[in-house]
Amino acid sequence: SQFKDDLPTSPQLFPPMSPYDVDLPIQTTEDVLFGSQFNQPKELPADFSVDLSFLPDITQYNKEQNRSEDGHETQKELDGSVSRNEDSGIFMDGSSSSCPDTTQPSPEASGVCPPLTPMTPMTPVTPASESSGIVPQLQNIVSTVNLACKLDLKNIALHARNAEYNPKRFAAVIMRIREPRTTALIFSSGKMVCTGAKSEEQSRLAARKYARVVQKLGFPAKFLDFKIQNMVGSCDVRFPIRLEGLVLTHQQFSSYEPELFPGLIYRMVKPRIVLLIFVSGKVVLTGAKERSEIYEAFENIYPILKGFKKAS
Amino acid sequence: TVWPNTGCFSEVAYSQSTGQKEQLSRCLQRGIRRVQDLCKVLQLPRVFEETAVSYFQRALQHPSFHLVSLEKKELLGGCCVFVTCRQHNWPVTMGTICSLLYAKQELFASVYLSLQKELGLSVPALSLADLVKTHLNSFRLFQHASDVPAPFVEDKDKMIARTMQIVELASETWLVTGRHPVPIVTAAAFLSWQSLQPASRLTCTLGRFCKLAGVDLPPPAHLRLKELLEILLRMASQLAWLRVFNMDKKTVVKHIGDLLQNRIFLLKNAFCLEDREEQCAAAPGEDSPGVGSPGFPLATGGAAQEEGCPSEGKRQREGSPRPLLPPCLINPRKRLRTAAPNASDSAITGDEPISDSEIEQYLRGPDEIRAFRKAKAWP
Repeated sequence: SQFKDDLPTSPQLFPPMSPYDVDLPIQTTEDVLFGSQFNQPKELPADFSVDLSFLPDITQYNKEQNRSEDGHETQKELDGSVSRNEDSGIFMDGSSSSCPDTTQPSPEASGVCPPLTPMTPMTPVTPASESSGIVPQLQNIVSTVNLACKLDLKNIALHARNAEYNPKRFAAVIMRIREPRTTALIFSSGKMVCTGAKSEEQSRLAARKYARVVQKLGFPAKFLDFKIQNMVGSCDVRFPIRLEGLVLTHQQFSSYEPELFPGLIYRMVKPRIVLLIFVSGKVVLTGAKERSEIYEAFENIYPILKGFKKAS
Repeated sequence: TVWPNTGCFSEVAYSQSTGQKEQLSRCLQRGIRRVQDLCKVLQLPRVFEETAVSYFQRALQHPSFHLVSLEKKELLGGCCVFVTCRQHNWPVTMGTICSLLYAKQELFASVYLSLQKELGLSVPALSLADLVKTHLNSFRLFQHASDVPAPFVEDKDKMIARTMQIVELASETWLVTGRHPVPIVTAAAFLSWQSLQPASRLTCTLGRFCKLAGVDLPPPAHLRLKELLEILLRMASQLAWLRVFNMDKKTVVKHIGDLLQNRIFLLKNAFCLEDREEQCAAAPGEDSPGVGSPGFPLATGGAAQEEGCPSEGKRQREGSPRPLLPPCLINPRKRLRTAAPNASDSAITGDEPISDSEIEQYLRGPDEIRAFRKAKAWP
């Protein structure tokens, strides 16, 4: 045929993701690659009637209220919180596919809440023989949650022992709890950031405790859209690394500026993780939304670093 | 007066009628001029100017830089010049650019890192060897002056050559990686200067040296000096005819020339390097010092063996070989946290019941609230 197909010279494997790409008919490659199960909330049918029996803490809170063991609770608060809880929004945990229809045993009877499916396995899936044998340790998890009610920060700072509030310095209450050892930033909009936990589960538990404190202070706090925003891990390859060499061979991913910072900043594309690599062999990995990204990033960098070790 | 035809008002866009587009390019023009001026001040080759300007134009078009403050735009020009220099291995430090722009280094750093990321620029590491030449250019010790004692004046080329060798030595022995480059050059320059005429210069301190040379004394230089001397002392312990002397950090300076000449051999013997048996068991320095096995590469991307150096079956030497490692691994700082996750932590599911009492420990009692209110004088 005399008509030639006009093909682009470089097929675009990574279509640019603009904020305006709302109607993507197919899952783009980037989604597949960076595929975080937390990005797209599960869609629920419009007539989903809210059955909250699978939400252990809120249900338990209702039951505790009814027992009235706590002299501080007022009737108004009880009524208010009960009705709120029934309206409370979908509990977004990313893995909420399992529970709604099963009848859960009453939490107070068993004392144990049926665990939701853990988000990712606790240990890496790759067998040790093929991998480095080193498992990065999680050091910090940052998560956010929406308490879905306006908060009086001054009031919170007045009534809570573990709260700090300096509006001139920062427009949020800084609250801390001992177990899990974490810090929360609580904003008047009802949004909250939780930092310092060492695992996703600990972060969620901590966030729930902060929500509880806020509830006990009289606010109709809910627990909506809990999401892990960032995970930080670290490990040690146990040999020193010539950073000036690494920046030479991996220039397109590396930034090494000893004038600014002693470590080399390595921006890995797949998975999309930033690694800080130090001369001592210590590596920090950050930017993950799931712990598998941390493990995968380390398994990718380890042979590169090891390759350096043998060079002579 | 001629009144304009009101009919055409509705069709004219604001940007067209107010010359907004010209304003934008004026900003660009100003920025380009600044980049060009900077290149002239630094006496850079013409081609650098063209590259830096094109980076600047690209950057300004990028959404992350289009609307930043004027202050940042000024720094952006400096960053483009800096990147261009580094890509051509033209040794210029951020410190230099910052001082020329009267910029805060933190702000410069953030703009630079953004530029590198947004434009996807690969910037090779700073070449220390080249930095030595440009840094030494600013030293005042190469000509006689009224405040410089005669024996302190030194030949520039000799000093450059020796400083470069010492800097290379520092690089091979892990003193450079991850460290700020300038203090290393300062310490190396000092040692090289001292060693060229030790008799009259050994009594001069690093501080005084920098003052006379008319350069700043960066605080880490003292530590770099200490580390360099430790390396040199260990190397000296491998030269037979030096072992009779009790070397210390002053006296070793006198022999830097010899040590540098035989550094490959000496490093091999003074430190445990790669996985080779023969080098740890090698008989040191009883032969003439000129004999050294041709250097097997020490510093090429390699890493030191982390296992301990085998010491059995070797003669006891003064200062038995230690592994060649970065100082942070030789003197590890005390661990602040043990941080190993224990079993109970790993068992957390996140759904645990939360007791009232646990939450209540965080709430103030009424007396406490009263007292707190009084103290804070809140309504």
